[in-house]
Order: sequence, then structure tokens, then C-alpha cells
Amino acid sequence: MSDRNRELFALVPASLLLVGGFAAVFIQNSASQSGLSLSYGALFLGLCLAGHVVVRITVPHADPYLFPIVAVLASLGLVVIYRISPDLARAQAQWFVVALIFFAGTLIFLRDYRKLERYRYTIAAASLVLLLLPRVPGLGQQVNGAFLGVRLPGGIVFQPTEFAKIGIVVFLASYLRDTRQVLVQGARRFAGITIPKLKHLGPLLLIWGAAMLMLIFIRDLGSSLMFFGGFLAVLYVATDRLSFPLIGFLMFSVGAWFLATHVGHVHDRVDAWLNPFDPALYDRPGGSYQLAQSLFAQADGGILGRGLGGSMVTLPGGGNLVPAPQTDLIYSVITDELGLTGACGVILCYLLFVARGFKIATIARDSFSTLLAVGLTSVLALQVFVIVGGVTRVIPLTGVTLPFVSYGGSSLVANFVLAALLLLISDRARRPA
Amino acid sequence: MLELSSLALQIGFLTVLYVFLFWVATSALRDVAQAGRPAAAADPDATGLHAAVDSMAVASSGSDAQLVVVAAPGHETGWTYDIGPGATLGRGDVEIRLEDQFASSRHARIIRQGSTLVLEDLDSTNGTWLNDSQLGGPTPLHAGDRIRIGDSEFRFQP
Repeated sequence: MSDRNRELFALVPASLLLVGGFAAVFIQNSASQSGLSLSYGALFLGLCLAGHVVVRITVPHADPYLFPIVAVLASLGLVVIYRISPDLARAQAQWFVVALIFFAGTLIFLRDYRKLERYRYTIAAASLVLLLLPRVPGLGQQVNGAFLGVRLPGGIVFQPTEFAKIGIVVFLASYLRDTRQVLVQGARRFAGITIPKLKHLGPLLLIWGAAMLMLIFIRDLGSSLMFFGGFLAVLYVATDRLSFPLIGFLMFSVGAWFLATHVGHVHDRVDAWLNPFDPALYDRPGGSYQLAQSLFAQADGGILGRGLGGSMVTLPGGGNLVPAPQTDLIYSVITDELGLTGACGVILCYLLFVARGFKIATIARDSFSTLLAVGLTSVLALQVFVIVGGVTRVIPLTGVTLPFVSYGGSSLVANFVLAALLLLISDRARRPA
Repeated sequence: MLELSSLALQIGFLTVLYVFLFWVATSALRDVAQAGRPAAAADPDATGLHAAVDSMAVASSGSDAQLVVVAAPGHETGWTYDIGPGATLGRGDVEIRLEDQFASSRHARIIRQGSTLVLEDLDSTNGTWLNDSQLGGPTPLHAGDRIRIGDSEFRFQP
């Protein structure tokens, strides 16, 4: 089977999941006929086919598994969001179409993605502006103490970090492509560890400073972990020295610890993380309520889950069992409905996506492509880690979206662009001479 | 009845998800196993087969065509290399030596054919790029053409 036919075939399970998922929710609500779910599935399959045709034409040699994995995650997201609220699902389906248009646009207009290198400082500056946008008075929006959203006219909330992560990675990949040799040359080795010269630590310190500033300004541990971790991954691959990420991680930990003990908002999050079931914290505004409810919901799922539509998303007295079930805490709802088995399936999807991403990085034929693939993949992996780690209480909970699954236009569009870039890199790498 | 169909759907849903994952995972693993092989094949151009052909290009020497470094590891931007009667680019012992981990030891060469210079890829592992498209067979060079091998980029100046 050729690569593209393999990809086409792999889109079938995604549509099956959508049909099955919608049917299950219909039956649970015992409202309308499950025939409707078939038409939803057909529509979804049609959209995926359109995406597939664009892939077939523009990047014929690209990795055949990325797009189906993304489609499976997106269909799962649509089902769970539909289960939470049909209105939100309709909006999400529209965003899915918009995301596919951006996906196709990236594939068509950025075929030579290496020209991004030429605009790296413009891209870096634009990304920084995007990151700081939520702090602009009157424009920014504070959610749970973190500044992550920008309210646009028309009531749309735009999440600039989602786009900034791609821009920052593009900048880092092209910057480190040029400077990596300088970073390694003249470094001393001590006890088997490479210690870079102090002056060469400059860029590292600069980005560390930027991550810390983000932590202070945006007040979001998750996003800064995502950005800084992505940077360390690219740096590690660029220099092939383990000491860089180790030193960087140490610096980040020290900074994060300092801020956690001194900045109120971050401090609260850590408190809630350590004692989610403390009654005082549970009742406090911005306390551990969110996290505790998320843990209850996940425990409720068991091994096989309550069934799609079977969990208690809405409390009998009104209000949601889990706060923000369609965005930050969607993973808890998935675990509640599909159980440990379903949740592991979701994690496996991401693992396979990341494996494909790193595979693309290893076969890429020039450094910029390698570094870009590593960076994009790492940032996505870290985003999943931050939110899944957050809701499962591995790290303090911070609000980032679950890529491709969570409700939200910015997240969906940005991550589809990210996937398109990976496809472009893999097409160039796998193209036969 | 409702319970039963619900349960069946639930199991079916999870089954489809895992069948998909299993399929992607096994295909991906096969891919990884395959990737190990071509790397072991090393540089096919290290055989010296092409070396004999190089001498044929000597015929009309005295050209002042040059390659200008746009960006290349180990070279400074703006450096120029005379092509002369023809030159080979690569990581090995060749006329234009690349310090580029993506270059093969004998990666590509430029030879003179009549009055034009022709760029040819020497079965390199990672390919040669001319003006953002990958080189197929031997291709004549024009003023301002950009030649890219891995991280190294040159501009052709006749």
C-alpha cells in the first residue's frame, strides 16, 4: 500500500469513532435518532477527505500517519464536546473547518518552509508581541489569575500563546542552526560534563530570562514550562551536549521555585496541587476545587468508563461537575466517560504523534528542518504533558488546551498549522531524488 | 436493551481506537526498522568511480566561474571558490570541502560541458538542491543559481 493510500485508509477509524461516539451520546440522551450520527460521521469523513486530497497534491511524500492521528484526536474531541454541550460542538465543528483551511493554506503557501528562516527576527518579534498582548489593558483577559486570552470584537477569545509557540520554535530553530557551533566550540569539559563558556551562555540566559518574565507577566507556569522546555529540546539537538538542557532545567527549577514562593498566584496553584482535598483550600476562590473535582471525575471512570454520555458532567442542582470541562479539563471528562482504557488511548495517540515527529527530525536533510521538527514536536508534547500532568496531579494545574481535542479555535487552528509544518518537513525529507 | 447497545457502542468505540493505534504503532515500528538499513550502506560515492570522469572536463579550462558562499558551516559568507575546469563538492578529499554533517564525502560536482557548467548530484545520501527544488539529473547552471547541500548554500557566479 502506498503512503497516501495508507493515510486514506487510516482516516476510516477516525470517522467510525465519530459515528460511534455520537450514536452513544444520542442513545444516552435517548433523544433523537442515531441516523443523525451517521450523517455527522459522513460530513467529518468528507472534511478529512478534503484535507487528505490537499495533502496528496501538495506533499505527496509526507508522513502518512500524522494526519490520521490528528483526525482521530479531533473526532474524539468533537464527540466529548458534543456530549458536554451540542452548541459548543457546533462551534467547534466550524472551527474544525477553519483549522482545515489554515492547514491547507500552510501546505500550499509555505511549500518552501525554509524561507521562514529569512524572517526569523520578524517572526520572533511578532511572537513576543503575541505573548504580551493579553497584558494590554482593555484587550487582555484574565482567566483564573493567568493572562492568556485576548478578547476580540464579536466575543471571540483569542489565545495568542497557541500561535506564539510556533513562531518561537521557528525562530529558535533558525537561530540555533547558525550559532550552535559557537556554543560548543571553546567549551571546557569537566568530569565528563561540557561546561560552555560564560559568554556563550548569553542566549541561554536571555531565553531563561524571557521564560521567567513570562511567568511573572502571564503568570502561567504551564506555558513557560512549555516554551522553555521546547527551547531546551532544540538546544540539546543543536549542540548534542546534555549539559545544556541539564543546566537549563536547573535554572528553570530555581526560578520557578523562587516565583512559586513569592508570587501569590503561582503560590496558590502549588498549594492546591499539594493539598487538593484540604477543605479550606477546596472552598477558597481559585483554590483546589477545580483539581479535586477533576480527580473525582477521573476516579469515577474506572477501567472502561461510564460510557459516552454516561458521566455526570452536569450536577443535579445545575452547574458543572468539573469546571471548564470543554477546555482545560476535557481530559478528566474523557477519563470519566471512557475510563482508564480510553485515557490511555488518547495518551497513546499523542505518543505516536510525537514518535512520528521525532522520526521526521531524524530523517530531515538539513539542520533547520531537523531543529524545526524537534521544536514543534517537543512543544506539542510538553503542552500535552502540562495539561494531562496538571489534571492528574503530577504537576501544578495550569490552563493550557489539550491539542486537537480541547474546545477552542485558536488551539485547533494553531495545532493544525503545526501539523502542516511537520508534514512539509517530512515531505522534503522523504522525497526520493 | 438501551443499556446493552450503550455498552456495545462503548466497547466498539474503544476497540476501534485501539485497533487504529495498534496499526499505526506496528507500521511506525516497521518504519524505524527500515531506517536502520540505508544508513549502513554508507557513502556509495566513496568508490572513486566518478573520479575518472572528472578529468574529462579539463578540456576547456581557464573559466573564471565561481561559487560564492551564502551560508555554510566552516566557511565564511562571501568566500568564493573557483570552479575552474570543474569541481567536486563533498566532505571528503575534494576541491570544495564542506564541513557539513549532511554532506556525503563526494556529494555533487560541477563539470563543464561545452560552454556551460553542469551541476550533478553524485548519488549523495541527502540530495542536492538547486533553487529550492531537488536536483534530478545533471542540470546546467545559470548566473545567480543557488546550490544547497545540507546546511551549506552557495551562489553560482559565471
